[in-house]
Amino acid sequence: MMSRTERRKSMAERRPSVSYTPSVIPHLAGLEKPQEPSLKIDQCDVLIMGTGLVESILAASLSWQGVQVLHIDNKNYYGDSSSTLTIDQLKKWCMEVNSGRLQHFQDAQIYIPGGKSTNKFNSKDYGIDLSPKVMFCKSDLLALLIKSRVYKYLEFQSLSNFHVFENDDFSQKITTQTSKEDIFTDKSLSLITKRNLMKFLKFILTDNKDPVKKKILVDNGKVKVQDFLVKQFNLELPQINELVYSIGLCINEGTETREAMAKIKRFLVSFDVYGSFPVMVSKYGGPGEISQGFCRSAAVAGTTYKLNTSLVDYDPRSKIAKFNDGSHVKINEKLVISPTQVPKFLQSNYNEVTENLKQFSITRLITVVRRDCKEWMAEQDSSAIVVFPPHSLPTNNEQSVQVIIQNGNTGVCPEGQSIWFSHTSEQDLNRAKQDLESAYEKMEASLLREANADLEGAFDDQDFVLSAQGTPVFVNSFKLGESLQNFVPKEKLEIVCKVGYVQKTYANPDLSNIFHATAEDNVVLKNVADAENDILFSNMPSAELSYDGNISEAKLIYQKITGSDEDFFDVDFEDDDDDYDNNDPHDSSNLGSSTTLKSSSSNALASDNEDVIVDSSDDDDHNPFGADEMEL
Amino acid sequence: MSFPNPATSVKLVLLGEAAVGKSSLVLRFVSNDFQENKEPTIGAAFLTQKCTIGERTIKYEIWDTAGQERFASLAPMYYRNAQAAIVVYDITKPASFIKARHWVKELHEQASKDITIALVGNKYDLVEDDTEEESLRKVSVEEGKGLAEEEGLLFFETSAKTSYNVNDVFIGIGSKIPEAASAGPNQIHQTNNDGRIDLTSDPNNRPRAAGDCAC
Ligand SMILES: Cc1cc2nc3c(=O)[nH]c(=O)nc-3n(C[C@H](O)[C@H](O)[C@H](O)COP(=O)(O)OP(=O)(O)OC[C@H]3O[C@@H](n4cnc5c(N)ncnc54)[C@H](O)[C@@H]3O)c2cc1C
Ligand SMILES: Nc1nc2c(ncn2[C@@H]2O[C@H](COP(=O)(O)OP(=O)(O)OP(=O)(O)O)[C@@H](O)[C@H]2O)c(=O)[nH]1
Ligand SMILES: [Mg+2]
Repeated sequence: MMSRTERRKSMAERRPSVSYTPSVIPHLAGLEKPQEPSLKIDQCDVLIMGTGLVESILAASLSWQGVQVLHIDNKNYYGDSSSTLTIDQLKKWCMEVNSGRLQHFQDAQIYIPGGKSTNKFNSKDYGIDLSPKVMFCKSDLLALLIKSRVYKYLEFQSLSNFHVFENDDFSQKITTQTSKEDIFTDKSLSLITKRNLMKFLKFILTDNKDPVKKKILVDNGKVKVQDFLVKQFNLELPQINELVYSIGLCINEGTETREAMAKIKRFLVSFDVYGSFPVMVSKYGGPGEISQGFCRSAAVAGTTYKLNTSLVDYDPRSKIAKFNDGSHVKINEKLVISPTQVPKFLQSNYNEVTENLKQFSITRLITVVRRDCKEWMAEQDSSAIVVFPPHSLPTNNEQSVQVIIQNGNTGVCPEGQSIWFSHTSEQDLNRAKQDLESAYEKMEASLLREANADLEGAFDDQDFVLSAQGTPVFVNSFKLGESLQNFVPKEKLEIVCKVGYVQKTYANPDLSNIFHATAEDNVVLKNVADAENDILFSNMPSAELSYDGNISEAKLIYQKITGSDEDFFDVDFEDDDDDYDNNDPHDSSNLGSSTTLKSSSSNALASDNEDVIVDSSDDDDHNPFGADEMEL
Repeated sequence: MSFPNPATSVKLVLLGEAAVGKSSLVLRFVSNDFQENKEPTIGAAFLTQKCTIGERTIKYEIWDTAGQERFASLAPMYYRNAQAAIVVYDITKPASFIKARHWVKELHEQASKDITIALVGNKYDLVEDDTEEESLRKVSVEEGKGLAEEEGLLFFETSAKTSYNVNDVFIGIGSKIPEAASAGPNQIHQTNNDGRIDLTSDPNNRPRAAGDCAC
């Protein structure tokens, strides 16, 4: 563990800034960017290319351990494939994708109705995540955010409502409940169904070391979860759908029991940690915002940042890297390259190491609408999740469509608007697009139906409708019958911006090759032979809706660079001493006691899998609440 | 029973060329300390310091650039919700004054419109004993004042070394920050507004939290 005094020399000490003193002060006008045009360092230990979330966590973890990191990005913004973009940036990004310059993205299309004259908006008011995610309240990333104090740069808001679409309707399955049991008991369920659900809840919250549970899971680990829930707990389809697709956020019918159990448990152990909600969203943007936080942390620890910079050459013998700004830097250890930043001269190496990897598509449709969608959100929330389980859409979707809704109060768009981030792991891209469009239509219809259900104000005084009986009706004069309501053309949802694209990744949607990476299935563990193994490639973001897997990926690269992940973020940070209440500046030293928050470093999904169950290694931090107290 | 005025949180960002003394100014203000060969950045998320001005208590959350400005790589996060900024130059280094002008422009573009900006010419101690003929001063007071007036900035010449004028900068900013602005809807540290979750409340100490069960 490094103490403060051992902290390696900071940037300016190592590299005092050049001072030049012209005798006359130059005329000020017209001077644009006075920053240093090229890198002024001669060496670093690790060069990281791409400021995506995993790479940013990596940069911070390495530099807090004393590694000299140079972190660059070929874009002029942070975040890489997990950026949070303004509408103008997104437009440019789409053009770049379609010109083929952004490897691993394709089929981008953006629609902005009416141009700026009728559809007035300020591009900078929007923060649109390329790979949006939500954070479980008990998860390894959250623990790391607290430990590293990066959370101080961020604001988190609760997300309570998970809606499931089934039988052509939305049911709000999960909302602000006071306890886990309530999640299951607020419905008009038969006593027997309730009992079965409670039995299941007790089972899932039981310690994985429990011999009975262990045996059941080992015996059924590979069984499809639907079959398991029917066989073992007599659950019925509506409950199974809710557990598997909404609570568990599983994406298809092929989900095996062990994976589904870990995912359902992830939700339940996250509930009630900070309040009666399972997940949170970060304000102003998700992964893009969190990457910026880790980059700042890395910079504080001494990482050099330079955006708009790309590698143009690397000589493995002399270890000299050349950049597009003309500078040369010696790389003492390794180069880490994100898939979107692979330089031309390394493309064949990249193709070689990814040749036999299975590629997955994620199709995304993001729509900014002029509605706050508050009707879908809990009182104190500004976000919600909508899930379309397999076969719930008219397109007979095989994969779930998962949607994150965030309104203006989350800082990603102006008040009165919201962003619908939807995606699917359907591998047939035409079907994927149809599924997303269909889900969009269902949400739009539901929103308008809900708005119209309250007829007051839905129609204009002057609207005229003729009923089937032949009687002219002024809509405001009496309640429209249902058939007439459906006949009246629905108000169209006003759209600010709609964007669709396809993202390719070697990360399996079930994260199996992230949590259990092997040289056969994860690019990080591949060796780039003719570059003397100096070069490592990282992964594109996965389809996973939560941040699960990101820390594991960062650790995987960290371990490949340093040989072990034991000291990953093993840092004693000084305490900012937030509650400091003395007005005297003379005592207000910042060097307080160290942070006492204990963080669990394991990941619910990573630790809750079959291997753990089989070799009975510990699962210490999931002591579940409540299972024993419940009356069954 | 009377309550002390609740402190208004103000996010303050620092900008300026490398080695002009940004971190030294903060260190002087926060710890009343100066280091001759100071590490430029402090290993903290940001520093906090309270400052009482008349009836008001302002709690500054001071964000240092951490070197990310060196190659024009400051993140939007840095400017977001900043209600105050200090643009620092070194009065013995004309180039740093040119950069100061750039940073003012950048702030007008990136930061919120009602941000309070102070222009600070640092290292005053180096010119204190100067004679007419031989002076280390390369940026005159008038030039600094001129820029400040043009752009509507507060202006100070300071020395982090002798602490000359340092507290005045923070008090000056504090008195210029409108009371209303610090209670605005987009403000960073609001008490439980916007559903902001306090992650500092140790989840393990919460009743009924996941880690509490004895089972
Ligand atoms: C999630 C997502 C949503 C999209 N939504 C729309 C949209 O609402 N309107 C729109 O004009 N474009 C949409 N696109 C873009 C669309 O896929 C095409 O890229 C675009 O229409 C360009 O048309 P093209 O004639 O060049 O078709 P190409 O890109 O050449 O089309 C290739 C093939 O895909 C089929 N195809 C393309 N789009 C769809 C679709 N949405 N559904 C079913 N089959 C399709 C075409 O019929 C064609 O056979 C979307 C893309 C994505 C990723
Ligand atoms: N004489 C004198 N030296 C100062 C003063 N303020 C800072 N210095 C010195 O100037 C050097 C740079 O100061 P820093 O506070 O690290 O400057 P900075 O702007 O934070 O630099 P970066 O973090 O590299 O951007 C240090 O050696 C300080 O001791 C001052 O008022 N007078
Ligand atoms: Mg500094």
